[in-house]
Amino acid sequence: MDAYLPILILLILGLLFAALSFVASTFLAPKKKPTAAKIAPYECGIVPEVEPPSRFPVRFYLVAMIFIIFDIEVVFLYPWAVIFRQLGSFGLVEVVVFAAVVFVAFLFLISNGAFSWGPVVRLTPGVPARTSSSTIARISGRPGGPVTAAGVPVSTGTPGQAA
Amino acid sequence: MTALATVLLWATATHPTLVDAGTFSVSAALVIAGAIGVIVARNPVHSALMLIMTLFGVAVLFLLLQDPFLAVVQVIVYAGAIVVMFLFVIMFLGVDREENLGAEKLRGQRPTSVILAAASLAGLLILGFVGHWTLGAPHVAGPDTGAPNVNLLGQSLFTTYLFPFEATAALLIIAVVGAVALARRPGGEQKVVDAAPGPLAPELDPASRFVVTPPAPGGNEDAEPSGPGNQNGGDGS
Amino acid sequence: MTHLAATASTIHLPHVNYVSILPILIMMGGALLLLLLSSLLRRIISTGVCTAITVMTSAAAAVAAIVQWDQVLANGAQTTIAGAVAYDGFSVLIQLLVPLALGLTALVADGYLKREGVVGGEFQVLAMASASGAMVMGAANDLIVVFLGLEILSIALYVLAAFNHRRAESGEAALKYFVLGSVSSAIFLYGIALMYGATGSTNLAKMAEFLARRAVLSNGLLLAAMALLLVGFAFKVSAVPFHMWSPDVYQGSPSPVSGFMASVAKAGAFAALLRVFVSSLATQRLGWQPVIWVLAALSLLVGAIVALNQQDVKRMLAYSSINHAGFILLGVDAADARGISSALYYLVTYTIMVIGTFAVVTVIAGRQDRATGLLEFRGLARRQPVLALALAILLLGQAGAPFTTGFLAKFNVIEAVVLTHGYTLAVIAMVSAAVAAFFYLRVALTMFSPVGEFGDGPDDDVPLDPAALVGAATPGAASGVTTVPPRAWSAAMPGIDELADAPPSEVVEARGKVPVPPATWVVIGFCALFTVVFGIYPAPLVDFAQHATLLFI
Repeated sequence: MDAYLPILILLILGLLFAALSFVASTFLAPKKKPTAAKIAPYECGIVPEVEPPSRFPVRFYLVAMIFIIFDIEVVFLYPWAVIFRQLGSFGLVEVVVFAAVVFVAFLFLISNGAFSWGPVVRLTPGVPARTSSSTIARISGRPGGPVTAAGVPVSTGTPGQAA
Repeated sequence: MTALATVLLWATATHPTLVDAGTFSVSAALVIAGAIGVIVARNPVHSALMLIMTLFGVAVLFLLLQDPFLAVVQVIVYAGAIVVMFLFVIMFLGVDREENLGAEKLRGQRPTSVILAAASLAGLLILGFVGHWTLGAPHVAGPDTGAPNVNLLGQSLFTTYLFPFEATAALLIIAVVGAVALARRPGGEQKVVDAAPGPLAPELDPASRFVVTPPAPGGNEDAEPSGPGNQNGGDGS
Repeated sequence: MTHLAATASTIHLPHVNYVSILPILIMMGGALLLLLLSSLLRRIISTGVCTAITVMTSAAAAVAAIVQWDQVLANGAQTTIAGAVAYDGFSVLIQLLVPLALGLTALVADGYLKREGVVGGEFQVLAMASASGAMVMGAANDLIVVFLGLEILSIALYVLAAFNHRRAESGEAALKYFVLGSVSSAIFLYGIALMYGATGSTNLAKMAEFLARRAVLSNGLLLAAMALLLVGFAFKVSAVPFHMWSPDVYQGSPSPVSGFMASVAKAGAFAALLRVFVSSLATQRLGWQPVIWVLAALSLLVGAIVALNQQDVKRMLAYSSINHAGFILLGVDAADARGISSALYYLVTYTIMVIGTFAVVTVIAGRQDRATGLLEFRGLARRQPVLALALAILLLGQAGAPFTTGFLAKFNVIEAVVLTHGYTLAVIAMVSAAVAAFFYLRVALTMFSPVGEFGDGPDDDVPLDPAALVGAATPGAASGVTTVPPRAWSAAMPGIDELADAPPSEVVEARGKVPVPPATWVVIGFCALFTVVFGIYPAPLVDFAQHATLLFI
């Protein structure tokens, strides 16, 4: 256990620091209660009108999945790497099989949009080729706006119209 | 600090079992307190944080069993990745809702469950104390040759537990497929593909049409779809 | 480096007999291939292609299992991959049975998925993965492998149960199954930990060896471990009192998934249960046999009696599957070669019958699995006599009527119990079989009863299911006109099948024929023929089960 003594000391130091910070803030912080304006969220000086969304998009979930999957893969890779020379080609083959299987999961996540954070392109069956808003957008030729895969500037109307 | 270090060093040198017992007591108390905190906390986020405490305590227990690798894994995978995942899920469902722990759907359910849990625990403890533990006699990893722990773990992983190791890959992939299949909105006809304009843009499929959905302001995935084309919600930016 | 060189010689790389895990590899490979295709192809892969891949994978796995059977017959039972995998007749039987069940389920699911408009290959990927989990359980010779198989099987099933997004019950079923299943998995894992504490190994062969070599005087830990393992297994096979999840889950899940759950999940769990308890813990029989006795008796009685009062056919089949679990537990309770072979025979016949039954339920239930009330089956014999006949055969088989496989299955397990002097249990089983015959026959009679004379039955005072009440309350229904009740989503899905949407009750005749996809016909026909042919000429199947048992580690 001697080896963990520094960690323990660090832990105690950390706790002490946190405790002291709290104590210091009670002494040093201004005693006045904050006004309503002060605790309001800061949005560049504009009074916020809508509540911030309290839910996260489900895309985060997919990213978290990727993280966990590869986290666990690395956990298995580490012992393998330590005894890599003893295991030789046998270990390599087994690990490559493992990694390949996990990689398929990775591909599947990507194909399901885990990394698509920009404006998304979807395969939506039965969408009309031209809507009034798309025509307006094309005529106005808005530069820098979103374009389809074919390079045609398209609708920036609401998603409901696009469908 | 040096005084503290000196005291601790003296303690570990002269009373190793005492220090072990102390470490065990503290971390076991952390584990149990965290576990109780998980179920009694009103706010799910607090529950998740309590879970980190439990998992951290377990990591200390691994250290006490002289397995630093498992301790590190415990912190990285469980306290790190998995609790983060839990927090994400809590965020999807909305954090502002506190669970009403007072409501009981089934009358008398809570006292009954406490009694049954206590009885089960008591039974297990009694059986465990009167039982004969054979742990340690036939080592899975073989006799202690003084090789580092990770080496032994690796050896077990690629010899005795080779098949379970490969089966874990299957388990991981199912977790991914299952999560994606469940997270998808009803009527998942859409397949989201990367839309970066430029050379990476996908070819236009003649059989279907691509529609660029602009990032909805403040859009989130959980908004009710305003039309069939919006079932994946905004882009989350 | 010095100690590395010293330990280098201590690594004995395990010998991997790839044939022994070939069916599992094929099944998992099929799942990976389909997943890869659905990830890499830009277009959404069509359901037909997915089904074809699944069926071909199942066929390949079954062929591999037949190759295995020849090898096992020639070389005898052995273990491989460092003793983690058993390669014996018992495992081969499971490797053959599970792909068969998966192939049949995939064919049924094909029609279901097309009807419900579920696209993408995930359903089949998960089904194949789940089947590979059951196969791992069948071949597992280590508690850790059993657990991994159990989790692969279950996690995929949790998701499959939720696959009908448009149906709230589907999600509810999945959540219920997931929460309770996770708890049972945790209990099972705790049992493994205690078993390691008690015997010093998780390997089934080493556990058996340890227990055979010494008498365990203070076996408290062992008892605790066995109790926890039994809870885990009893949950998976839905034995009373760990059955609470199954009626809700069977009812809420998509019908093909319910069939898959009832067959494959049960096969995998029973295979592992038999191997762990009857084979490895044989010396501790006095410890676990009374528990199995109670589980079997309760499952037989509760399953049969509660099923009597069910108005929903899927719920009734769930209780019937609890009842069947009780029968298979008779074979476990007998705990000898005859018991194992009778349990295996029962598993094989039940798997086929239950998949066929759920195939018929799938087509009759119509869109969203809504029409599963008993009344929906009224007059089926007049509308679709062949379908009604097939269902009648399958139900009679489940009831254990003579000249079906079900009869010999029930007879075998009861005989096995009687030969080990379990007379009370045998009597309970026979009473339960008689009670169970009543509710199977009730469905059969409902199908053959002409519309309008149904009120004569003994069950006309039981409450109708809510769907029927809604239908009766609709004015159009009372006047005999087929109407579509206003539903929030009916506008969103213009292509809705109006016939399937007709409210059940007085207008049941107006439903007309339910469409039966050709693939589903194949399944129903196969299952019904199997039930009858092997009921009349059971020798090959019985021989197979007995051989598989003789080649048991």
